[in-house]
Amino acid sequence: MNRRFIRLTVNGDTHELAVAPQETLVEVLRDRLGLTGTKRGCTSGACGVCTINDETGRALLACLALAVEWDGRAITTIEGVAVDGQLTPLQQAFWECGAVQCGYCTPGLVMTARALLLGNPRADAHAIDEALAGTLCRCTGHIKVKQAVAKAVADLAAAGNGTTGDGPQG
Amino acid sequence: MVRKADLAVVGRDTPRLDGVAKLTGRAAFTDDVRLPGMLHGKIVRSHLPRARIVHIDTSAAARLPGVKAIVTRADAPHLFIGMHQPLFDATVGYIGQEVAAVAALDEATAAEAAALIRVEYEPLPAITDFEAALAEGATPLHPKAPGNIAWEQAELHGDPERAFAESVHVREDVYYTNPSHNCYAEFHVAVADFTGGRKLTVWTPSQTALLYQKALAAGFGLSDGQVRLMTLNTGGGFTGRSVVRPHHFIAALLSRKAARPVRIRAIADEEFLMCRAGGRSRYRFRSGLGRDGRLKVVEADLVFDSGAYVETQMILTRLTHSYLHLLYRVEAVRYRGRLVCTNNLPYYFHHGGGLAQMQFGWGQHVDALARDAGLDPVEFHLLNAVGKGHTTLSGSHFASCGLKECITKATRRAGWGRKYGRLPAYRGIGIGIGAMASGAKGVFRHDTSAAFIKIAEDGTMSLFTGLPDMGQSSHTAMAIIAAEVLGAQPADITVVSGDTDVDPLDVGAFTQRGTFNTGNAVIAAAGDARAQLARVAAERFGVKPAAVVFRDRQVFPKGEPGRAIALRQLVHDTLHSREGRFVMGRGFYNSPKDSGTMAYSFGAQVAEVTVDPETGFVTVERIVAAHDVGRAINPKIVEGQIDGQVFSGMSQALYEELLMEDGQMLNPSRLDYRLPRAFEMPAVEHIIVETNDPYGPFGAKEVGEGPIVCTMQAIANAVANAIGVPVQEMPLTPARVLRALAGRGEVSARTPPAPLRGRRLR
Repeated sequence: MNRRFIRLTVNGDTHELAVAPQETLVEVLRDRLGLTGTKRGCTSGACGVCTINDETGRALLACLALAVEWDGRAITTIEGVAVDGQLTPLQQAFWECGAVQCGYCTPGLVMTARALLLGNPRADAHAIDEALAGTLCRCTGHIKVKQAVAKAVADLAAAGNGTTGDGPQG
Repeated sequence: MVRKADLAVVGRDTPRLDGVAKLTGRAAFTDDVRLPGMLHGKIVRSHLPRARIVHIDTSAAARLPGVKAIVTRADAPHLFIGMHQPLFDATVGYIGQEVAAVAALDEATAAEAAALIRVEYEPLPAITDFEAALAEGATPLHPKAPGNIAWEQAELHGDPERAFAESVHVREDVYYTNPSHNCYAEFHVAVADFTGGRKLTVWTPSQTALLYQKALAAGFGLSDGQVRLMTLNTGGGFTGRSVVRPHHFIAALLSRKAARPVRIRAIADEEFLMCRAGGRSRYRFRSGLGRDGRLKVVEADLVFDSGAYVETQMILTRLTHSYLHLLYRVEAVRYRGRLVCTNNLPYYFHHGGGLAQMQFGWGQHVDALARDAGLDPVEFHLLNAVGKGHTTLSGSHFASCGLKECITKATRRAGWGRKYGRLPAYRGIGIGIGAMASGAKGVFRHDTSAAFIKIAEDGTMSLFTGLPDMGQSSHTAMAIIAAEVLGAQPADITVVSGDTDVDPLDVGAFTQRGTFNTGNAVIAAAGDARAQLARVAAERFGVKPAAVVFRDRQVFPKGEPGRAIALRQLVHDTLHSREGRFVMGRGFYNSPKDSGTMAYSFGAQVAEVTVDPETGFVTVERIVAAHDVGRAINPKIVEGQIDGQVFSGMSQALYEELLMEDGQMLNPSRLDYRLPRAFEMPAVEHIIVETNDPYGPFGAKEVGEGPIVCTMQAIANAVANAIGVPVQEMPLTPARVLRALAGRGEVSARTPPAPLRGRRLR
């Protein structure tokens, strides 16, 4: 198979990689770069656990993204969210609200919520419901996850900071 | 008796100790394990429900570059998974059954090689309808299952005939539940390293490393100590990770043959084929009510499709039998439970362990019985519910019981009195009540949990436990318990777990035994460590060891907090004494009963629903959940356990169904096997009832499955209340609700066609 060279920036670090045309971002992240925080789930776009963010802060499913199409682009994964090892207000809200249980879908949920907050800092309950609809979570019943995202919206508004506290990264 | 006011950390919200690791992507799961030289396995599966294997040709696969090992029945002719299922059987019994497997350098090569393995089958007549399997003259599927009945349990308590004769209201109902999948976030996965064939190490998500270890050791003819189970983080259990599966054995077999570590991970529909959740089941109940409204007698005849192999599924009949007289004071019980062999995949149990699913029927049956007698269901429950001090017909004793308090509090909060019978058309309210054992001695010979604790010179501690944490926050709960005993903070404690070479023995995190059994073991271990420190402190303070108080990282003589010294100082002084003592505590707990448990949790839930009469779609508007958990060790986590079980109960009641046709799954994907999405979840209101159980750790009982046994029946009763007729088959899909509305609510004998997919339009 003809491999192609791509230049991919992940959490601010640029990597040059020779990838096969069918390789997806979830494979590149986990198997080539050792970034196993992005979880592999259904690998068909149905469960949401592999969600990452693009350079504009939008959510995307790493299992459906072909690496060759991401040449020259930049993405953020769960490993790139905390700032200097400190949880962001969003992560802190997940922790305090009890929105983490088994933790397998947690990275995907955090990246989904991060994208929501970057795009819509005043997200209401309806917007939160809609954003979270793409992630399956059996443990929490979504309830404390919704509370956590709502808390992050409120905390960030109170802090006069309309983003997730980390900001989109190149 | 422990007073809440005396507790320093138990009962206060502690964010889970593994939260930061899980929120930053650093928490490792089995799929994240990378070992030097690791290969990737792929399983070849039968596409026929029943067939004799004539020949397997692996030559083309073996020639493919990158293929390192191929295994078939020839490699393991005498290897059994448990008692009855050969790893590779000469005659396959279900679609998806393992026939061969290959290990290669990467997943793609393994998949390509698997596709090159040619299997020649001789098809045999199959039976996939469990009622057809029971019929007279049905083809016998298994030599050890005459009449296709693999297991039958019959129980009798009291005199049912007399009790029926004395009853004024008698009714009989039949209910069905359908096949399902546990649907944990983490797909089935195992990494095995059996290089050299002397010690087998297996990384895999599990609710019980001990039972996996024992089963693998038995299968490979090894001693328990030659098998090392590594559980890391477990991405959800839901009763589905308590039994070892074929892929664990196959990964080990491939590893032994290739002399390299091998990972097998479910891809696409394999996730569903590897599942061992509940099968289609039939529940027939007949009960009698006396003139005074008291439930006198219960008769139950239950039939469970157990699929092609029956191993430990008899736990279903053991549990459902004793459940019939757990909630109400009854005079007589007659029970029959049967496990039926078919050519479906082996079915075990879904979240709720078979009990929540039976409660779907039983809860509706008693609701209808109450209405027959002109009683409000809540009135019926309060009249008949068990209480503290009650002993059931099979000897279970309730040293604490908040059942009536749960019923009263849930119905009051839900506005039952002003809503029941007074809601507008297609709006309904229903109640479900439940109980759950904390542990299950008798299912195993012992029900032991053990714990070690060591205290470093700086006062930080390591707590060693074999109890897995598959999301329920059991490790944090154990740290809270240890911290309470030793006057430390949970954050001072590192929980070490997930490696059977290191962990003390623990039966595991299922049958709701963790908080109760392992919690009591941790109290014993922490108490042992504290006694060692208290001796030194007592000498220093000139008091008796029993008068030394450990609290808030300080140690002082009782009543004299002014003389406090820091806990870390005491630990330091103990180590630097002439004795040079390093503080290490150890303890274990096992139920003192011959069988059964010392404690039961209780609960009641009220559901309010709206039914769309045009589409049949059910919307759950609100759930009020009141649960007697004895003591909430970590209240916000207890709420999360209730939330998750309400979700799972609602999901099973309304959505989840593996659509099976002639043994073939029609919807084996995360997209087609429906679960509620975030926007479909109702508000859940929690009422935590604390009855302070005398045997529980700081009064605690389980909260791992007590809530889910209430949810399905509450929703089903609310739907019946909304539309005026019951829906006697679960899940309550729009198609079934519409059939009930059209007056054709009778239970179909066969699986109906695919249901309409419910969509809530916004």
